[in-house]
Amino acid sequence: MQKINRNVVLALLSLTSLIFLLFQLCYYKFYLSQKNGAAFSKIRGSQSGQESTRWHVVRKFLGLISSHNIPVYLIDPLILGLVDKDIEQIRSSPDGPSPECKYFCTPRDFTTFALLDKTWKHEVGLFRTAEKMGFQWLKIINKDPRLDGMDDLSGMEIPLHYIFKLASHAIHLVVFYERSGNFLWHGPLRLKQHMDRKFVPFRKLHFGRYSGAYEKPELLLVSIDDLKVQIPKNPSSFLEEMSHSRFLECRYREARAFFQLYPDDASLDAVEFRKKAKSLLHLAALTLNNLGVKFWLSSGTCLGWYRQCNVIPHSKDVDLGIFIRDYKADIIPAFQNAGLPLKHKFGKVEDSLELSFQGEDDVKLDIFFFYEEDDHIWNGGTQAKSGKKFKYLFPKFTLCWTEFVELKVHVPCETLQYVEANYGPEWKVPVKTWDWKSSPFNVQDNGVWPIDEWDNVIQIY
Amino acid sequence: MEEWKPNPAVKPHKKRSWYLAWKYKLMNQRALRKLCQTGAVLFLLVTVIVNIKLILDTRRAAYEEEEESAQDYDDEMLNVEVPRHPVNKKVLDVEVYSSRSKVYVAVDGTTVLEDEAREQGRGIHVIVLNQATGHVMAKRVFDTYSPHEDEAMVLFLNMVARGRILIFTIKDEGSFHLKETAKNVLKSLGSQVAPFLSWRDMWTFVGKKGGEVYGEKHAKSPALSTWGDPVLLKTEIHLTSVEDAECHWPDTELNRRRKRFCSKVEGYGSVCSCKDPTPIEFNPDPLKDNKVFDVPVAVIAGNRPNYLYRMLRSLLSAQGVNPQMITVFIDGYYEEPMDVVELFGLSGIQHTPISIKNARVSQHYKASLTATFNLFPDAKFAVVLEEDLDISVDFFSFLSQSIHLLEEDESLYCISAWNDQGYEHTAEDPSLLYRVETMPGLGWVLRKSLYKDELEPKWPTPEKLWDWDMWMRMPEQRKGRECIIPDISRSYHFGIVGLNMNGYFHEAYFKKHKFNTVPNVQLKNVESLRKDNYETEIHRLLGEAEVLDHSKNPCEDSFVPDTEGRVYVMFIKMEQEADFTTWTQLAKCLHIWDLDVRGNHKGLWRLFRKKNHFLVVGVPASPYSSKKPSSVTPIYMEPPAKEEGAVAVPAVAAAEQT
Repeated sequence: MQKINRNVVLALLSLTSLIFLLFQLCYYKFYLSQKNGAAFSKIRGSQSGQESTRWHVVRKFLGLISSHNIPVYLIDPLILGLVDKDIEQIRSSPDGPSPECKYFCTPRDFTTFALLDKTWKHEVGLFRTAEKMGFQWLKIINKDPRLDGMDDLSGMEIPLHYIFKLASHAIHLVVFYERSGNFLWHGPLRLKQHMDRKFVPFRKLHFGRYSGAYEKPELLLVSIDDLKVQIPKNPSSFLEEMSHSRFLECRYREARAFFQLYPDDASLDAVEFRKKAKSLLHLAALTLNNLGVKFWLSSGTCLGWYRQCNVIPHSKDVDLGIFIRDYKADIIPAFQNAGLPLKHKFGKVEDSLELSFQGEDDVKLDIFFFYEEDDHIWNGGTQAKSGKKFKYLFPKFTLCWTEFVELKVHVPCETLQYVEANYGPEWKVPVKTWDWKSSPFNVQDNGVWPIDEWDNVIQIY
Repeated sequence: MEEWKPNPAVKPHKKRSWYLAWKYKLMNQRALRKLCQTGAVLFLLVTVIVNIKLILDTRRAAYEEEEESAQDYDDEMLNVEVPRHPVNKKVLDVEVYSSRSKVYVAVDGTTVLEDEAREQGRGIHVIVLNQATGHVMAKRVFDTYSPHEDEAMVLFLNMVARGRILIFTIKDEGSFHLKETAKNVLKSLGSQVAPFLSWRDMWTFVGKKGGEVYGEKHAKSPALSTWGDPVLLKTEIHLTSVEDAECHWPDTELNRRRKRFCSKVEGYGSVCSCKDPTPIEFNPDPLKDNKVFDVPVAVIAGNRPNYLYRMLRSLLSAQGVNPQMITVFIDGYYEEPMDVVELFGLSGIQHTPISIKNARVSQHYKASLTATFNLFPDAKFAVVLEEDLDISVDFFSFLSQSIHLLEEDESLYCISAWNDQGYEHTAEDPSLLYRVETMPGLGWVLRKSLYKDELEPKWPTPEKLWDWDMWMRMPEQRKGRECIIPDISRSYHFGIVGLNMNGYFHEAYFKKHKFNTVPNVQLKNVESLRKDNYETEIHRLLGEAEVLDHSKNPCEDSFVPDTEGRVYVMFIKMEQEADFTTWTQLAKCLHIWDLDVRGNHKGLWRLFRKKNHFLVVGVPASPYSSKKPSSVTPIYMEPPAKEEGAVAVPAVAAAEQT
């Protein structure tokens, strides 16, 4: 009796499992065909289902976009990398049919496009059409950083990213916004609580880990893989830009808290100084950018940005940092041509170089050159009358973009460490009397210049 | 899932023969057999469980997918669901209280109106409820003790859609200026008492527009000096279905916005009309060569949603408007203005109020301007408008033709659409522009560099209770620069309710303002508005002007001959630059702006009288005094002795408003 029972149970279980397996098979087949259905038939060559899916999804997406007159451009780093290799050929034959599917057929989870916010009107129609075409879409919205710096304004949240998914491929559409400082900005991609975390493999996205800052690109209409798309005119420089595009927003909330504790100086002198410092910074940025010299906000100017999102009115000068490897002999003449005479030059390229230019009405522009060692970075200082040398040590840092007084400039990404190294843990407390030889937290004596070098390393004008 | 699938797919067949073979072979080895059997059972069980899980997962995924892509149908689903709700049978309890010092209305226990403030809220309070949801759609008070308020009430009641529930209650006094027309309207709503409402009566009434009456209570005032007894009306309202409460417009993007709007608020008239709704998209003709297409437009608003509605309508109807550049800045977290903004598909930004009164407005301006330039970093200018302005059809055309001056002429402070002295009887030429030393505001263009470099850094802080516009007019800010204005204003100030505004004041100074309604006016001689060219122009004009008879009274109509198209000049006494004694008296008798000095350019005023260009030169302060023939004695008008005291108070406030 027991035995029979057991056998019956076993048989029943086997039967069920068989049925399930059959069902699975059917389902799998059905699922696959649904995913790639149309794709198999049309594309020529020997691409597997996955590859042609991408091409088809991109084609559908471009159709959708152009039917709504939305100008997007391709910023997918992997495709742009491929395109860059053949850029001459692509440029010369904008319309020619391509012999093989080279770019859009590499199997990937995503293809990334960019969209300039001001070139389209946020319309619901687009999504309706997208849905009709079979796309699933996800919109990622967040606060508008352009209003973030302002007390108590609450605008509508703005779209930062869109993801259009069809079958196994997804289009990542990054929305770029114009910011003060004449650059484009895209936001970070952050999923909100209720969002479907498995909508697409978000970790594999190329954009969205951080926000980013870009120059406004020149575009080029090309035809690749028989698809007409806009791409940045110079893909390699775009890719280069992308590799260090990370953008830091100023810490507006903390800055407001700071001003609650230490009310802002609204005196006429402060207003005047800020105005001059701003125009000096604009001029310096223009000059250095023209030379292609990378610089960042240093010392007091960096502290002002980090602590209060503004120029510190009692700081009396503008401080920039430049890596010594980026030094160019043209820097001095370029500033002089820009109307900023050299005030003093301390040190030499090999050691402790520091330049100082005279801006309008006593506002000084100090440029410190930074020397990289294995485990730290330092810049030097020189006391003119004694020939004493000083050294200021910083932990290693990389550079990020930020917006400051309507300018796109670099700051150290690891700003807190940088500021703390320079000003100590009490950096949040404003100090009005400051001695560059003793006040900095990270100053070290560094000997004395040999007397015979003084003529060279201590030049005052 | 793909990895383990092939495995079981093959196994079962094998396993079965496997199992049979084993079964015979190992029949005797009980322990082993048992183990195998258990193993097989376990394995099968696991397979079954995994499979069931798979089915459930895929089904759920499929369901979610469906849901996602079904967003399209959201609206219809809503409609289908509605009848299932027991909405039809829902009943609202309504309490309405009317008395001398307090009124309140409670709907289902929630107080939706309570007003017991002293010296405020006098008159008839009206509340509109949605007949399907019971939500408050509008709340108004009409001070029908004062003149003309009853007309506003009639206007409002006419705008309310049929079927809505109306609740009325009187606080203090509501009958003194309640005219026959208004009484008839109330009567037509079903009120029995309204036609007989009299001095200091208390009254409450609840009814459906174009339908049943839910209740009415009335307490007569026994004597002139006393009020009627407080009345409390308790009644029930049967809600209808949402279907019945909504219109069936074709399903378009625009109508969705309209639907959202109309289910929330009332009092906007035909925009919510079921049969023939007024458009909310206007598509005015584009402007050829529009130089201000990319100029952001900041609309500064408070909590006057009806004003904002009227304003945005006129703005969006102006030729050359670019809706994408418009941002409405709302001072405070008010819902209804935001609803209006969304109705028109514009973007709106709300601003947490900082400080009080004038300083609040001033901080709101600052935040709005800063935000505008942040949002449109490329912009060199911003157009600044307020919510109580009508915008002329050629507003953008006017700016497009003149904006290059603001860009090129450093001596300019702004371009304004408003001529302070441009009244019906003093403005004539839509193609004529002036340069003036005062900043009129009321629809103007601000240069970004002026704002960013000069104004923003030293904008008055919240604790200074300053008016932003008065501050902007101060010499420290203006620095001798001038504004360009048209002879006939391109904006019209219709606001009667406001911080520094009241009905009397509006009637005296704004109602008769001339407003251009001609499209595509070609401006005359724009280049002559440049700093030096303008002097040449003025000299030419003074050269050709006929000197009026200075022995006559300049206030009299006969002072100016009955001609048309001539240029006349008169000379008034003006001892130094700040001596406006005679001018103020002249302005007063000409019924133009006399509360402070506006519209002057180096001691010269330009206006029209009887269709003649009429120039007034202040002698000897004005550099144009040299044009005065030596025989002419400048006219001096004495200010009347101190009887103006009463007017002086609104005068100060008034000067601030514009």
